Amino acid sequence: MSKNILILFSIVFPIISGFVLLCYPKVKDRKKIQIYMLGVFGITGGFVSNIITGRAMTYTLYEFMESIPIYFKIDNMGRLFASLVTIAFILSGLYSFGYMEHERNEKRYFGFYLIVYGVFLGLIFSGNIVTLYIFYELLTLTSFFLVIYAQTREAVMAAMKYMFYSLCGAYMALFGIYFLYQYGTTLEFTPGGVLDPSLLQGKEEFFLFIAFFMLIGFSVKAGMFPMHGWLSSAHPVAPAPASGILSGIIVKAGVFAIIRIVFEIFGADFLKGSWVQQVWMTLSLITIFMGSMLAYKESIVKKRFAYSTVSQISYILFGLSLLEPKGFVGALFHTCVHIFVKTGLFLAIGGMIFKTGNIKVEHLDGIGKKMPFTLWCYTLLSLSLIGIPPAGGFLSKWFLAIGSLESGISVFSWIGPIILVVSALLTAGYVLPITMNGFFPKADWTYKRDELRKVMVIPILILTVLAIGIGMFPNRLVTYIGNIAEQLL
Amino acid sequence: MAVKMKEIFLLIIILLPFFGGACICVIKPKRQAYLEIFVETIVLLTSFLVFYSITHRPESSLVVFEFAANLTIAFHMDGLSATFAGLIAVLWPLATLYAFEYMRNAERKRSFFLFYTVTYAVTLGIAFAANLVTLYFFYEMLTLVTLPLVFYTMTREAVLASRKYLYYSLGGAAFAFIGLIFILSYGHGTTEFVLGGVLQPENLGGVRNTLLFVYVLSFFGFGVKAALFPFSSWLPRAGVAPTPVTALLHAVAVVKSGAFAILRITYYNFGADFLRGTWAQDIVMTAVIITILYGCSMALKERHLKRRLAYSTISNLSYLLFGAALMTPLGLAGALSHMVFHGIMKICAFFCAGAVIKQTEKEFIYELDGLGRKMPKVFGILGIASFSLMGVPGLCGFISKWNLAKAAVLSDNPIAYIGIGALLLSGLLTGIYMMAIVIRGLFPLAEVNYGKQQVQDPNWYMILPLIVLTVFIVYFGLFSKPIVLLFENIAKGRW
Amino acid sequence: MDFVQNIPFFSIILSMFSGIVSSVLSGKNAKRLNTFVVFFVGVMSFVLFLYLMQKGESYIYRMGHFPAPWGNEIRAGVLEAFMAFFFCVIMLCSLIGGRKHLIKEIEENKVNLYYILVNLLLSSLLALIYTNDLFTAYVFVEINTISACGLIMIRQTGRTIEAATRYMIMSLLGSGLLLIGICLLYDLTGHLLMSYIQMEIAIIVEQGMYTVPIILAIAFISIGLAIKSALYPFHSWLPDAYGYSTVSSSAILSSLVSKGYIFLLIKIFYRIIGFAIIRDSKIIHILFAFGICGMIMGSLGAIKENDIRRMIAFSSVAQIGYIYIGIGLGTKLAMTAGIFHIFSHAASKALLFISAVGITDASNESKKFADLTGAGYRNMIAGVGFTIGSLSMVGVPLFSGFISKFMFAQSSLQVPGKMLPALIVLGISTILNTIYFMKTVIRIYTPAKESTYEKIRFFTNLSYSVSIICFGIVNVTLGLWSQPIVEMIQTGLDMLA
Repeated sequence: MSKNILILFSIVFPIISGFVLLCYPKVKDRKKIQIYMLGVFGITGGFVSNIITGRAMTYTLYEFMESIPIYFKIDNMGRLFASLVTIAFILSGLYSFGYMEHERNEKRYFGFYLIVYGVFLGLIFSGNIVTLYIFYELLTLTSFFLVIYAQTREAVMAAMKYMFYSLCGAYMALFGIYFLYQYGTTLEFTPGGVLDPSLLQGKEEFFLFIAFFMLIGFSVKAGMFPMHGWLSSAHPVAPAPASGILSGIIVKAGVFAIIRIVFEIFGADFLKGSWVQQVWMTLSLITIFMGSMLAYKESIVKKRFAYSTVSQISYILFGLSLLEPKGFVGALFHTCVHIFVKTGLFLAIGGMIFKTGNIKVEHLDGIGKKMPFTLWCYTLLSLSLIGIPPAGGFLSKWFLAIGSLESGISVFSWIGPIILVVSALLTAGYVLPITMNGFFPKADWTYKRDELRKVMVIPILILTVLAIGIGMFPNRLVTYIGNIAEQLL
Repeated sequence: MAVKMKEIFLLIIILLPFFGGACICVIKPKRQAYLEIFVETIVLLTSFLVFYSITHRPESSLVVFEFAANLTIAFHMDGLSATFAGLIAVLWPLATLYAFEYMRNAERKRSFFLFYTVTYAVTLGIAFAANLVTLYFFYEMLTLVTLPLVFYTMTREAVLASRKYLYYSLGGAAFAFIGLIFILSYGHGTTEFVLGGVLQPENLGGVRNTLLFVYVLSFFGFGVKAALFPFSSWLPRAGVAPTPVTALLHAVAVVKSGAFAILRITYYNFGADFLRGTWAQDIVMTAVIITILYGCSMALKERHLKRRLAYSTISNLSYLLFGAALMTPLGLAGALSHMVFHGIMKICAFFCAGAVIKQTEKEFIYELDGLGRKMPKVFGILGIASFSLMGVPGLCGFISKWNLAKAAVLSDNPIAYIGIGALLLSGLLTGIYMMAIVIRGLFPLAEVNYGKQQVQDPNWYMILPLIVLTVFIVYFGLFSKPIVLLFENIAKGRW
Repeated sequence: MDFVQNIPFFSIILSMFSGIVSSVLSGKNAKRLNTFVVFFVGVMSFVLFLYLMQKGESYIYRMGHFPAPWGNEIRAGVLEAFMAFFFCVIMLCSLIGGRKHLIKEIEENKVNLYYILVNLLLSSLLALIYTNDLFTAYVFVEINTISACGLIMIRQTGRTIEAATRYMIMSLLGSGLLLIGICLLYDLTGHLLMSYIQMEIAIIVEQGMYTVPIILAIAFISIGLAIKSALYPFHSWLPDAYGYSTVSSSAILSSLVSKGYIFLLIKIFYRIIGFAIIRDSKIIHILFAFGICGMIMGSLGAIKENDIRRMIAFSSVAQIGYIYIGIGLGTKLAMTAGIFHIFSHAASKALLFISAVGITDASNESKKFADLTGAGYRNMIAGVGFTIGSLSMVGVPLFSGFISKFMFAQSSLQVPGKMLPALIVLGISTILNTIYFMKTVIRIYTPAKESTYEKIRFFTNLSYSVSIICFGIVNVTLGLWSQPIVEMIQTGLDMLA
């Protein structure tokens, strides 16, 4: 018990510290804020590392509603996600120290940053679906403030759009939860599913529909077609580190929730071979292709990468939709890769925009002369995104393709890999021009060398190293994910 | 005799604010403060007595008067009474406190507080009514005593609004009246509220369908006050009244009385078992679902702050009626929880709107840009109330929605499933129209020139009720289990 | 024979002779005499009522020398006595309330004439209530008509003369039909005394003879009296007659005169034809249908009106529709409801007329709605009176209208075929009533922008205020303590047959 309460601490501590920062008027000095943030990161990081290295544990806060406690649980999935999220949050946070210097209201930004962090940890540690739902909804509402931060008309509209889409998804999920409460044996996440077969008798079709509904609902956050509209407007308007978090982390909340409900509430067997699986696959494949296409055509940098996220997340969803171990491994592996890559990319291009003020791709010509280090990192991250060995992206796509071929689901088993390849080509098409034109501008450029500050560069560097390194030394991770897959499937 | 004491208490509770209010027209206090102290004392005392009576519950009902054979005025205290009375007993003192500040510089304050206090008595009468006749009696009275409040500003708009209010309410009562007659005739000469109904379905035979038709008629009849589509247009119009009235009466007391009456006839007169699974249920449930969606969509379109909230009330009231239309004990429990929780949230939202109007005299949403920065407390609380209305978990709106949905799932009725969808869709729309207000206030698009007038948060008269209500919202959101259990017990007749 | 049993005869004679005496008195003295007579008759009727309640059965009082079946008879039961008492109360209040206007609107040398007419009216009403003889009834119907005509015409404007003429024509048409009906009955039975006719009719019906003539007789009588009591669609004379005559006349005409005819009709149904036969004839269906139409059309007419007095007059059409529904439903409970509504409507409608005049007084004598704005503040008591009357008309509990509405609704449940139309029309009619009455109430309480009209205080016209208070009390009493009255009506109906 004494140790279990650590879970609660790790969630509540950043939230409370965020509120304190927001409400406490004395802390105005930038230095003080940074020290405060570092302290909070340190302490929370300590909690989290303690939790993920420890044994499996559960913690029940109190009974929220009848027979539904607020309940937290640490399992392997949680460990994996918690560590990824913590890394990304702390690195982006450090980067923000530098980035936010030219923005107003950095207190508000950091305050909500911490709150979002805490809420996300809560989401990850949730042990039953209601707790998950609570944090899912809170995540929308708190990250909302990161989107609206700039307070321009664009930002406000984007934030509203974000909220509308997310709530829409959340309520679709809630619709399912209402039914699960009655037809499930428990709402706790249990590998293999919780549906009560005796109650379900004769309602299987209806429950497939419910499952589909929830799936669509949660995949709103993951930006699956046709609910991807919010992503391309919400991610670009936020400050760069926040965009990184949104694109790299927040969308994973959708993925995480989908994993939980598909494998631990409905159970893979329930969905396997049903129309839900096929529709899900189709949608994710469409999204992969469409996201890449949209990114390819987009000329505003941040938007381009937002579309890229749309496409990349659907790799993960595609992997999950296969409902078999190889695909699952590929999906989770891609999750790790994508967190590092996309966060890093947003930080890098954020840095470029930060220095030049140009938001369009064609205006970044020659950026390599100005900030060579950043652009190198960018390039390496891009390679990982495209999936060129030995970067991480290659391996995840490999697993996905293998999984798809092995799954033996008629058409999809071979269409999947084809689309993966096509999308990879498109990815190369939309990320590499920046590198090329950055290093080899067509005309003469008179940029002086003007690299980012260390506090901003180092996080990018670390993320680059992680993104590449994960591809070079994947074994432990793959084994770890393999264990999860074994448990869940 | 000593036993009867508790019953007589009910009558005293109703008479106290009635005569206390009536006293206002006799006395002419020298200073404003005296009037306030007087009114607040009466109201607080009444609320205290209500809670005393809830905890020391009278067992039997008290027959006060007989109009004619069968037309008996009687009071009792059962679970439903306790819930409704408890709700208004909490809200009334707060609203009165708020009203003092809101009406600070208004004319004709005495007549305002007179009717405001008398309305308390009448609403309690509805809550304590032991049979449909009494309920109907106080229901009509409620229309009449609240009319001057709607009418209060005496502008042309107010005249039109009060006219509409009157036509709708009395007209609705006329059809509810038919229900009363039928209950009286087929309920063995009694309209007493008995959980499970007073009809004996096996003896009804040929009149079954007529009775169902009458149920639908009276559902819509009482539904007028609960702003059931298509009889809801009076509610937004009635928003011309001063905010304490709109907040307390048009979000809680009056409209909830309509819903309360529907709960009474559904579960206590016609009987849920008799109605469940009939075409009557289908009709009313469809109407309710339409209203839920209609209210939200209209709120989305509306640009006037109070009217938007009024449309939101329309939609939310139909959540409650959805609970009634489910016709299961759990549905009743869900309806009760939404009755209480929506009362708290909506009055809170209205108070915020009123504070804005009072401090800035701005009534339209597009005028609110950046006011949140000047009035952070008000807008913060409005934000919480909005979240709660949307149904964000951790706040009380989520709980009542959960309970309603739970009941709907168990009811095994396809229309109810659609109803769940409507609840959620409505939650989504609520998110848009409420957050649009909050966001405008807190995140103005551009720097706003506020003029010379110094805009700030109102004083404690207004802030205190707001804070108390917010505490309720959060508390019930987090620790709902005991109260929901209580509602479920009430619905099963175990209280 | 108890002395008390002389009361019916004595009341009729008293009021008739006081009328004759009034012709030689000055206006003021005529007023005093009239007030005394009405009051006295009221008291006597009440005594009679108490006596009959105690006795528990009706009695027959032989007029003149000849015994039945040739002589003339009076028959008094509980209902009759109460009706007489109630009519006196309403008449007294109406006269007190409209006194000031009377002086204003009538030439001074005609004031005593007015009281002659009132006295005649009273005597004819009493006669209609008490008589057991069909032909006497007819005679008094005519007297009633003539005096009512005079009451309308006495305020000599073009409008009233036109209205009176119209009233006269319609009424005479009604009387004519009534007379034909009476002739037919006399032909068939050879009797004029009600009880004897009934016996004969029962025999005839049993033998299955003369079905058509009986039906015709019933039809003629019903339609004749329906015209006279302004049942829709025979109501065209009513709005003008009530709308333009002096206020006391309006109040008396609307609440008493038409009720006298209805009471006569009920009496004919019960005592002459026998209620069972009536129920089997189709005639009550027609009355029911007309009643239903009247409820709706009367209210619609009222909604369209832009003149407060005419609006109230139109509302009478609707209310009379209620009463005919009570008759048309054809059950005892429904009939009770109808009779109760006679009382309740009398109390409310007179109140409305009287308070409406107070409201118009406070608005520079204008009856147009636009001018009434804020009148409720200028003449408090009239405003309150009007509100009470309106609420009663709408059928809000506490007031008499609710009880009658309630009873109508309840009784309609006993007649399956007519249940739903009756109930739904009741609902619609309530809504329509709400629309026009509450519109007016809100109007008179809407503050006027600039009010140049004088305020009328409570004590400036004390008699007026007192009459409104009396009406209010009567109304609330009927609304709150209706049970004994309803029971009384039921025993009275038993005695009637």
